[in-house]
Amino acid sequence: MMTKTAATVIFLRNEEMAAMLFAATQEVFTSMLGSEVKRLSEPEAEQLTSFDGVLSLVGLVGAVIGNGALVCSAEAACNLSSRLLMTEFSTVDEEVLDAVGEITNMIVGGFKNLLETHVGRVQMSIPSVIYGKSIATRNSGANVAAAVHCAFPGGEIALKIRLAARP
Amino acid sequence: MGLKPPNLLIVDDSTAIRKILLRVLSQTGLPLGQVLEAGDGKEALKMMEGHDVSLVLSDINMPNMDGIELLRTLRGSAQWHNMPVVMITTEGSQAKVQEAAALGATSYVRKPFSADLLRDKLASLLSK
Repeated sequence: MMTKTAATVIFLRNEEMAAMLFAATQEVFTSMLGSEVKRLSEPEAEQLTSFDGVLSLVGLVGAVIGNGALVCSAEAACNLSSRLLMTEFSTVDEEVLDAVGEITNMIVGGFKNLLETHVGRVQMSIPSVIYGKSIATRNSGANVAAAVHCAFPGGEIALKIRLAARP
Repeated sequence: MGLKPPNLLIVDDSTAIRKILLRVLSQTGLPLGQVLEAGDGKEALKMMEGHDVSLVLSDINMPNMDGIELLRTLRGSAQWHNMPVVMITTEGSQAKVQEAAALGATSYVRKPFSADLLRDKLASLLSK
C-alpha cells in the first residue's frame, strides 16, 4: 500500500520540484553570491555521460529519501567560490571544495524547507564534494527527479534532486 | 580603564561560512576581542574551557556534535547556561527552530543570509 507521503511526492510534478529548486538557487545567488542567475532550458532526458569538474552532494532523509547535487566545471567552481568568499580563486583547492559544498548545502537546504511543506520532516547530511575527471553518477530507485540548469556571469551549474518514497 | 572587548566563538564545519562570518563581524565597527573558530560542538566546548567567550554563533548541522547538542550542553552547564547563542543555519524546519528556541537560543539566522541584515543583528546583540 502506498503511504500518504509517497503519494504526495509522486503527486508533485517534476516541474513544481524544479521551480522550488530554482527558487532556492536564486535566493542563494542573490543573498550570498551577489549575482543574478538565469534558468536555462533542460535537456529532454538525463544522459548517462561522464564529466570533468566538481560534483557536490547532500543527502536527504526523512519523510522521503534521496539527495541533492550540484555539478559544475572547475572554472565555475572557482568563480562561485570567489563570489562567496570575495577572494580570487583560479584553481580548485580545499577552500573551493568547501565553498561549493556550502553553496550546495544552502541550495538543497532551501529546497528542503519548501519540500517539507508538502511531505513533512526531512533532514540533510553534511555535503560531500568530489573533484575529478570522467565522473559518472548513477542513482537507483529514485522515482522523482528535478533538474535545473542555470547560467550566472561566471559559468553554468546543474542542480539535480533525486527523491524516493521511504521504504 | 575601559571595558574589555568581547571574545566571540564561531562554530561551523564550513571554513567558507566561518570566513564570511569573520568578515561580517569585522564590518560591524564594534570593538571585538578574539574571534575563535571551531569546526563542531565538541571542539567549541574545548575552546570555551580556555577562553572567556561572550557570544557563540553556531551552525546546527555539523559532524561529531551538532549545534542543538552544543546548545543543550551549554544550557545544562553551570558556567555557560546564560551564554548568548545565535544559531546560523540552513535548517528552516519549524521543529528545529522550535527545538532551538525551547533550549534558549538567543537568535536564529537562516542561511542564505543578507550580510547587511546579519551585520545589523550582530551589532545589536554585541552592543547590549
